[in-house]
Amino acid sequence: MSTTATLSSTETQYATFYVADLLLGLPLSQVREIINHQDVTAVPHAPPFVRGVINLRGEVVTVVDHATLLDLPQSDITAKSRTVIVNWDGDQVGLTVDSIADIISIPHSEITPPPSNINGADGRRFRGVYTTENHIVVIVKLDDLFASYIN
Amino acid sequence: MTASFEDADLLREFAVESTEHLAGIEHQILAMENAGEDADGTIVNDVFRAVHSIKGAAGFFGLQAIKSLSHSLENVLNLLREKQVEPSGPLTDSMLRAADKLRDLVGDIEGSNDVCVKDLVAELDELAAAAERPQATGGDKASDVIAVETAKSDVPNQPTSKPTASASSMTEKSDSPEAVGPQSSAAPAGNNSSTARDGAVKSSKESNIRVSVELLDQLMNLAGELVLSRNQFLQQINASPVEGLESVAARISQVTSEMQDAIMQTRMQPIGSVFNRFTRVVRDLSQQLGKKCALHIEGHEVEVDKTIIEAIADPLTHLIRNSVDHGVESPDERERNGKPETGQVHLRAAHLSGQVAIEVKDDGAGINVERLKQKALDKGLITPEIANNISDRDAYRLIFHPGFSTAETVSDVSGRGVGMDVVRSNIERLGGVVDIESQPGKGTSLQITLPLTLAIIPSLIVRNGNSRFAIPQVNILELVRVRPDDFKKRLGVIKGNEVLRLRGKLLPLIRLDKLLRQGNAHTTESDAPARECDSRLNILVVESGQQQFGIAVESLQDSEEIVVKPLSSLLKKCTCLSGATILGDGEIALILDISGIAAMSELNPLQEEASHENEGGTSHLDELQTVLLFANAPEDRFAVPMPRIARIERVDTNRIESIGGRKLIQYRGNTLPLIALEECIQADPPNLPSTVFVIVFAFSGREIGLIAPTLEDIHDVDLALDTSTAAESGVAGILPINGHTTRLLDIQELANAAIPLPSRQHEDDWEPARSESEELPFRILFAEDSSFFRKQVSTVLVGAGYEIVAFPDGLKAWEGLHELERPVDLVLTDVEMPHMTGLELCRNIKQSERFAHLPVITLTSRAGDADIEAGMASGVDDYQVKMDQERLLTSIRKFASARDQVAV
Repeated sequence: MSTTATLSSTETQYATFYVADLLLGLPLSQVREIINHQDVTAVPHAPPFVRGVINLRGEVVTVVDHATLLDLPQSDITAKSRTVIVNWDGDQVGLTVDSIADIISIPHSEITPPPSNINGADGRRFRGVYTTENHIVVIVKLDDLFASYIN
Repeated sequence: MTASFEDADLLREFAVESTEHLAGIEHQILAMENAGEDADGTIVNDVFRAVHSIKGAAGFFGLQAIKSLSHSLENVLNLLREKQVEPSGPLTDSMLRAADKLRDLVGDIEGSNDVCVKDLVAELDELAAAAERPQATGGDKASDVIAVETAKSDVPNQPTSKPTASASSMTEKSDSPEAVGPQSSAAPAGNNSSTARDGAVKSSKESNIRVSVELLDQLMNLAGELVLSRNQFLQQINASPVEGLESVAARISQVTSEMQDAIMQTRMQPIGSVFNRFTRVVRDLSQQLGKKCALHIEGHEVEVDKTIIEAIADPLTHLIRNSVDHGVESPDERERNGKPETGQVHLRAAHLSGQVAIEVKDDGAGINVERLKQKALDKGLITPEIANNISDRDAYRLIFHPGFSTAETVSDVSGRGVGMDVVRSNIERLGGVVDIESQPGKGTSLQITLPLTLAIIPSLIVRNGNSRFAIPQVNILELVRVRPDDFKKRLGVIKGNEVLRLRGKLLPLIRLDKLLRQGNAHTTESDAPARECDSRLNILVVESGQQQFGIAVESLQDSEEIVVKPLSSLLKKCTCLSGATILGDGEIALILDISGIAAMSELNPLQEEASHENEGGTSHLDELQTVLLFANAPEDRFAVPMPRIARIERVDTNRIESIGGRKLIQYRGNTLPLIALEECIQADPPNLPSTVFVIVFAFSGREIGLIAPTLEDIHDVDLALDTSTAAESGVAGILPINGHTTRLLDIQELANAAIPLPSRQHEDDWEPARSESEELPFRILFAEDSSFFRKQVSTVLVGAGYEIVAFPDGLKAWEGLHELERPVDLVLTDVEMPHMTGLELCRNIKQSERFAHLPVITLTSRAGDADIEAGMASGVDDYQVKMDQERLLTSIRKFASARDQVAV
């Protein structure tokens, strides 16, 4: 019991996924579900990063292209493409990603500040990075991602 | 801990209940004042009981301020009850203020003990004392004591309870010794509190329970989901029918609809809950301004969704205040103008085809159009050219213009401008519309139309490319279809903007595809115009606020009741959208926001009026009649007027039975007689496909179907008919449509010939208005510029036994009216005519001494609400649609029998 308690306070579970060449990590607590890519209904006059809206079991969910959000070229939809449904600002938002990776636990202490440029993306958009033997997991925060577009 | 939870619940209950009591009180106090000496004892008793229960419960919770104030109020009410004092102005004032204060206190129970109510208490007590000496000294003292106690106990209370007040709930406070202290010291009132609770128990004997709005919202959402799933289910069933499942599906469908209605009903509240407060607003304001106003409320009982009730309170308050402040004149001025010194303000609500219509009307000075225009000119909102050409009605609408409202010195003009754009935008946000009408010297009327609910709205689904969009029906005025041949005639470009020419008016035209593409960087715009040239254009004429415009859409689809889903905040900048909905097939349709589109496109509603003058020459369009085209056999085309059609059904050919030489089908438990054209007129017999369309017409409550093997199109035709070539009963004339000779059917004649209904011959009202030997035939003056209609309608009327005097335009009719040897009994007139329109003719008639008594029926090919309104404003007695002879005859019979009765 006590070990889990200590674990949960020092490390967080992240869902990780690929967008362009980046391995991104989002706190699992914010992820509602991950679905296969489905065709979107385009929304006229929407911000450029919005792909459109989908019907997710009766709810209208806005789908955002994660790559565009990072100022990278829009992702092509492939068989591996997934939509990560996240809770944000009381809403459900779908993030289109290129593929899904693992769920990993990252100790808070191991997260380091992001470098200024990570594989072509501006480091300031991220919370930090976590380096494993093979990968660099880039930690993102939804508020940061949307903030610049919303305000 | 549990105990304090219960307390918190109790306290909440107390707040809810007291708020309910107080909501009624104000109205009742005002009713008491109006009734004066004859005040109904039950009203006073009701108020007394309500205040008494508040007092009792407040004592129980140790809410000193509430208690002492309700106690003093109760004393005054007691005197009223015993008729020792009369409800007079100052007394009512004090009572109202006490009720207001109580409402504030109850609204913030936790802070209530910190509020000083001494002044009000003293005021009430003084009134009570002055009214009744011996009792007053006792009562006076008692309440003074409590007041003092309150004040005293408040003082030590404050420092101790304040630190906790902000952080902790009232629960803790009432548990605290300070709060208990004053309660016990107010022991004398303790007796009352038990009786108060008895009273409360008695009065709450209703078959109602309280349900939280949250729960209702949730139910509403679930019902919405159910409707969606139902629709999907039905589509599946229809696509691949499973035996036995269809009846279940039908049942589920019906129950779902009923349940949705029932749940929506739970959210409905009578609009009276908002209206009632205006009695007070009008009273206070007119007193303050030294005016005399009476507010008349109609339609208390009209039920509207709770969210709408909440949202219209503010705009309505604004409009009512405007009516009193700027509409109704001072008593002196009214007297000078020969009006009764009390101004009348009417507040009406009524259901109007699935919507709520609210009207705020006063009999005040009206709006001075010239000054209004001048103001708009000064503000640079319109050009002098526009000012000269703009109609009065459109000029009044200027007050909704945002630029107008911000004018600082608007009250010079009329005062009405202030905040009117806010009123408009608030109402539009609710999916409603607002309009204004004014007559100088006679008053002003503001009309608001609102949907019954915000959650489910009837909409038209349109297609644009691969996407579908929903447009709320409330915004749609009409559908116009323009053929490529007519593009030149009906479409134009003014100052780089496209316009639609509609009945002599020019409306800005927005192309939906272009509008939606603007925001989409991915596609190019170049391919657009080429594609549009070769197909006809569907245009929805929509209205938002004071502006009308056309939206050209690719194609029209169903009309559906859609469940509105909000869009994410990520999309809040999409001003052209107001939400989304999920259609029956699971696809999403975005809901277009008409006012948002208008704003985005920066339409200038006034431009159209001025340019209109330069154009002209479109009057022939007024005689356009919409007809449905169908082919009985290939190359044998027919047209029937759309307004006559009740509906169109698709039936299996093998369901058509032939009994006694007549065709019919069993239909919804009834028999629908069918007309096969080839059996009535010279027509090629068709090769019936496996399913045919049946065009259903209604006659005298009966229905008759016309078999239409292939439907072709809906078309606007200019009724320059060749009536001579078709000397055939059942055919009104021959039209060339798209190079094909098409026969326009006369449904009435056809039905008479094909199906001589036995019942019809016995119906009294079917008999022509036969002239008794000594009685002169009912004489009708008929003005109509289209020779086709003149001939056709005249024939029908003469056939029905009336005498007709026909004229080719309004002016000739007006002159003719004066020269006729024998007076006419009724005037029947077309609306759009050269020289003098039907409405002008009607106004002339109604304003002349000699002819004012004549009933006037206008006859037109269109019958939109706005047209009917304009007609009614001109004094028209009835309004009938051309080609609907049945109803026209009914209407004339009504007036004819009225004349006969007067004669007897």
